[in-house]
Amino acid sequence: MSSFADLADFGMEYARDQGASYSEARLIDGQKSVFIMQNGHIISGSESPWQGIGFRVLLNGGLSFVSVDNLTKKAVKKAIDVGIKLAKNSNPRDKIDFGEPVSNEAKWKVQAKESLRDVTQETMVTKLQELDKIAENNGISTRAQIFEAQSSTKYLVTSEGTRIEAELSMLKCFGLLTAKGILDSEQRFVDLTRSTGWEGTKTWTEEYEEECARIAKVAAQADHKLTGKIDFVVSPEVVGIICHENCGHPSEGDRILGREGAQAGESFWRDLKLGESRVGSEHVTIAEDPTIKGTGGFYEFDDEGVKARERLLIKDGIANEPLLNREFGVRFGTESNGSARSSDFNREPIIRMANTYMKPGDFSLDELIEDVKHGVLMHSFTEWNIDDRRYQSKYVGFECYEIQNGEVTDTMVRRPIMELTSIGLFSSIDGVSKDRIFDFPGICGKSDPAQGVPVYAGGGYIRMRDILLG
Amino acid sequence: MSETIQSYVDYAIELGTKQEVDLILGIGTNAVRNQIRFSSNKVDISKQWNENNLELIVVVGGNQLAIGEFSPRNEEHVKERVNAQIKFANSMSPSPFYQGVESTVSKFTPLVGHYDDKIDDYGENAVSVINSCINEAISEGAKRVAGSYFFGKKNVYLNSSAGPKGSHSSTSYNLTVRAFQEELDASGQGLATGCIPHSAEKKLLAAAATAGKFSRMHKNAQPAKAGKYDIIMSPAVAANLVGSIPNDANPLAVLMGRSALGDKMGEKLAPEFINVADNGLQPDGLGTSPFDDEGTPRQITPIFKDGVLVNFIHSTSSAKMFQGESTGNGSIVSFWTGSKLMAPAPTNYVFENGDHSFEELIDTNRKTIYVTCNWYTRYTSKISTEYSTIPRDAAFLVENGELSTPIKNFRISDNMLRQFANIDALGNDRVQVKWWEVPVPTWISTLRVKNCRLTTATQ
Repeated sequence: MSSFADLADFGMEYARDQGASYSEARLIDGQKSVFIMQNGHIISGSESPWQGIGFRVLLNGGLSFVSVDNLTKKAVKKAIDVGIKLAKNSNPRDKIDFGEPVSNEAKWKVQAKESLRDVTQETMVTKLQELDKIAENNGISTRAQIFEAQSSTKYLVTSEGTRIEAELSMLKCFGLLTAKGILDSEQRFVDLTRSTGWEGTKTWTEEYEEECARIAKVAAQADHKLTGKIDFVVSPEVVGIICHENCGHPSEGDRILGREGAQAGESFWRDLKLGESRVGSEHVTIAEDPTIKGTGGFYEFDDEGVKARERLLIKDGIANEPLLNREFGVRFGTESNGSARSSDFNREPIIRMANTYMKPGDFSLDELIEDVKHGVLMHSFTEWNIDDRRYQSKYVGFECYEIQNGEVTDTMVRRPIMELTSIGLFSSIDGVSKDRIFDFPGICGKSDPAQGVPVYAGGGYIRMRDILLG
Repeated sequence: MSETIQSYVDYAIELGTKQEVDLILGIGTNAVRNQIRFSSNKVDISKQWNENNLELIVVVGGNQLAIGEFSPRNEEHVKERVNAQIKFANSMSPSPFYQGVESTVSKFTPLVGHYDDKIDDYGENAVSVINSCINEAISEGAKRVAGSYFFGKKNVYLNSSAGPKGSHSSTSYNLTVRAFQEELDASGQGLATGCIPHSAEKKLLAAAATAGKFSRMHKNAQPAKAGKYDIIMSPAVAANLVGSIPNDANPLAVLMGRSALGDKMGEKLAPEFINVADNGLQPDGLGTSPFDDEGTPRQITPIFKDGVLVNFIHSTSSAKMFQGESTGNGSIVSFWTGSKLMAPAPTNYVFENGDHSFEELIDTNRKTIYVTCNWYTRYTSKISTEYSTIPRDAAFLVENGELSTPIKNFRISDNMLRQFANIDALGNDRVQVKWWEVPVPTWISTLRVKNCRLTTATQ
């Protein structure tokens, strides 16, 4: 338990005593060790405390958020006085309602066999040097690795009786890699983020080696352009980003009802009927599940104290369940499904994804491929984007191979483009493999000020029919 | 400036100096930032962040560097952090990126017109200003209005054992307002930003009116057809696209493989009427300050002169690496989630204003569209600058010198350097742009780019 928990309790109680119908304090007390390496040199590093409290206050249906990084009673009291005033002043026409009280008491933690607090600076730097060497040996000419080890206690206390302590451990490592290619520079972000202790780095060498070799291969060989209509067999990495962008984001309740209108945007799900509207073929079932240990999106209770559970966003091709926090649970006539996350103590909890993936189907990868006359096996992607209703998407292939008459050839296809609507994309799927692989760790951005939260995404391989290349 | 944070900075420098480190440099920031978020014509939440922060750079052994950050509670806490950081720096390997900081003690020119004396009372009335903005957008034809309004104040104090010492204070406001019709894909955006919130109401209302008007004009938008078009970019779009090219005139971007300009010094990359500077002294600029994070006075650094790349921005260290001189852009750069780095960072990008009215820009017989907003710009390669971006909000075909059919559902898929070279006319309506998609305050006009590639979904 953090030594500042009393301060969080004090702030929550003080807000309640000032008339708040609901008050909440979320304390983060931890530390971050950070290193940046560029082409073999550590160019920066630090070890800093990571501490602060964010408060939410609901009063007369008006909501406020205040945060302090200065953990003193004086600063907290001052902030709460402001929070009470802001909530009163906001006086919205439609009162905000969090629904039935939530009063969970729990302790949960990320299983960390080797605590990040016990890992020496030298060990961390050695690991980064090892990764950089791998990239260099693969001919990656420009390399930057950013590493961050976070260990923290998160303490959530509310006026409704919720009291949750979480012991967190997160390893973040990004490689920004550039290889000179035969036609252009090839660039990739390699993300090794995971929620774990130091033991999570054990597979990094192998993963990085594989990624760097793939980049080098694309740079050296990918020059075959394709046009026209083809089939795609798409890897779990690409399936992951598709599930995240074309399904996870539009399923966010706050987007659907417009709260992100001026920031991350709205959602084409607004005009669908949940449980009725078809958005893809019957092969498409997409789940969202924060309870998968070791992933970037892992949590047992969300940042409003609601117990986490799996959500089925699309079931057999039908839009099924949106992601909801307490406020939007009420607005959808139901309750929260544990989707409130906050990226830091100084950000309000909002609706976020955690781990989004396509549920396994019945095919093996070989079965998916053997029925393709002419197509592309897309192992990974590079440039991508999607409109703010989450309907018009684009994915550009990175490591891609031509499929001819049911066999994957050695011919590397250069940057094939899928430019599809969400429904067009999901409707083209006629097979999903039996795998569930989380090959896409990432930091998901949303809202203003931006909140980057770690997420995972993945699934099996999918087959998409008759895609006209962009 | 809070005397407490200033005294903590001074105390940290004193502690470090006594321990004979090569450098200890502290930046104390005391800030109060506010936000009102609104959607569906009502306020969703009001926020305030209280930040009391000390960023500390410690250098030992010539170039072993540690950069840390904390919120000081008392002198004991400061002492603990300074000692921890010195210990950390002693374990670091030498950084080739660190080659010293500013040692000349300069007299800084105080900022004028960057601090709103009425800021402490401004919050009382801010919700009512936002409600007025919502009503303004609705009166222009919006059905639903959403947005985000930031305002606040910041006091900064710098003390470096290398010599420089100084402080500055500033205030700011920044409104993004977006208006919608009932349908999802008819919308418009307005932006307003500057330094003096209490005198900004007219600009805020104008932004809301713009958003409302564009959402109304964008009703019944038709899917655009893929192909080649000239694009007239609003200042918001121009700032995100061609206006982001100065980002590459930064040694950090070059070293990280994120620059298209690494080998192009002295090359003509844009028409001669394109002149761009990094201006750390720009009046009303959100990136303006009297000195950088090392204590070097801010200055105006031309980046493109008559379309030719003439300078990179520099810190003291990067200047030594690139055989140049500091341009007063030394900064503690936040990298990704929490990493910090001493490196050059931009202040305000200032494009020279053009001389074309909007009517002149749309007076063309070529196949042309007008785009008012975009988002989600992503590159296949930052070096070759192949990229795509998605227009959102109002966009129109331009026909017979007028905005005609509203259009939707398309993507600009092109090459940024080619577009920079293809700018063929610059408007005379330069404004400051800073919003979600434009992190560096950018002063830029509406501009027209020839022969851009539009793509659309194939199914």
